[in-house]
Amino acid sequence: MTEKEVVEGFARLFGAELFLNKGFVVRNGNSYFLLSQKLKSLTERLGSWLYAGTYLGKIEHNGVFHPSLSLLFLMADKAKNRITVDDKAAWLFICGRDVFKEGILKIEGSRRKGTYTLVFNRNGECLGYGRIARNLEKLKGGLAVKNLFDIGDFLRRERPAVKEI
Amino acid sequence: MFGKEFFVNRYRLLGWEFRDVAPRQAIRVNKMNVDGFDVVGRLRDLGVELEKVPFLENGYWVIRSDFSVGATVEYLLGYYSIQEAAAQIPATLFTDLKGKIVLDACAAPGGKTVQLADLMGNTGVIVALDVNKQRLKALMNQLERCRVKNTVVYRLDARQTSKLGLRFDRISLDVPCSGNFATDKDWFRHRTLQDVRRNAKLQRQILAEAAKVLRSDGEIVYATCSLEPEENELNINWAVKNLGLETVDVECYGDEAPTEVFGLKLDESVRRCRRIWPGETQGFFVCKLRKRRQNA
Repeated sequence: MTEKEVVEGFARLFGAELFLNKGFVVRNGNSYFLLSQKLKSLTERLGSWLYAGTYLGKIEHNGVFHPSLSLLFLMADKAKNRITVDDKAAWLFICGRDVFKEGILKIEGSRRKGTYTLVFNRNGECLGYGRIARNLEKLKGGLAVKNLFDIGDFLRRERPAVKEI
Repeated sequence: MFGKEFFVNRYRLLGWEFRDVAPRQAIRVNKMNVDGFDVVGRLRDLGVELEKVPFLENGYWVIRSDFSVGATVEYLLGYYSIQEAAAQIPATLFTDLKGKIVLDACAAPGGKTVQLADLMGNTGVIVALDVNKQRLKALMNQLERCRVKNTVVYRLDARQTSKLGLRFDRISLDVPCSGNFATDKDWFRHRTLQDVRRNAKLQRQILAEAAKVLRSDGEIVYATCSLEPEENELNINWAVKNLGLETVDVECYGDEAPTEVFGLKLDESVRRCRRIWPGETQGFFVCKLRKRRQNA
């Protein structure tokens, strides 16, 4: 698969069609980036960079693509599978917790167990994504969406770095 | 040549009477990410008391908050950055940033890189350099959080910028410096004049490299958070005399820089630099430079 196909394939799990410019999605080590025309020509000329343009995600050790938060933001207005949660559930979600049925305000797209879905707060801001843990159609309460990645990760990933400075 | 008395006496000779200060925390709104809504209003609704910084377009002091302003949804979504008020000044001194090729020579942890991207509206290209691996991680996290799209990051010593083979329209030099007592309570105990001189030497090397890679119509903004003239006025005086650079008038918060330092007469044009003594902000020094015009 090309870099573009990997990223667009991930977005499709959420019902989002991304049409990224071929050749502008580049792989650097295990990481994927979306570049502008200017950045593309510059990075090709200079080589050996660490980060460029929009970071899209990386291939983990197990070979699975792990998205960046910027990719989720790119997908946010295109994804069909989305749930909107109340303030308490939103806060718990960005603290790394799962979503319970009681905190869900709205479900759009698939409700089937195993489906990937973006999670939004009541302002329509994407907070991360998860996987539907139980069929939401019949679910009365309890665990609804397993948290897979959320914006609180920015705080969690900085902690060890701050200590080492 | 160290100790509080030694340094405080130097500040007195430069015209400032020492007093203890506690600079306030400040935030800067990332305009590129808040198009169409009022993030300051949202923070106020959360109970964060903010005061507009009078000399900054997008800066606010945090007067009171019951929680860390670095842990709100708004922060995590890149709507604002935490950036000390004086540190927000240098990037605003450039003219016409949109579409330009900009060098951020000592970029980590990324506060100014994000601010530059914001002022550029994510257009053009920022080449961000730093040497410290951990600080580079912090820089890349900031870029992702604040949705910066126009930056490429290299692990490279600013003194080796010419290896990239690029010429830049704008160069931000927020150079490594000795810092000051306002943000480091032990500053007087662990800093010596020898440290200051060592940093000044490194800063001159960075300035010299920047002058090499600057386009003929380009601009450099040099900044430190040091109060020591060796890292500030004396370096600019040296750059004016040795690098073919000239200072440019700026309109910003701060005092005109002195042109006589400890009995040494400096080039008159050094007064165009701005010296910010600690008070409402931390201590800071900023100067805008360009290549000397042939007919000047």
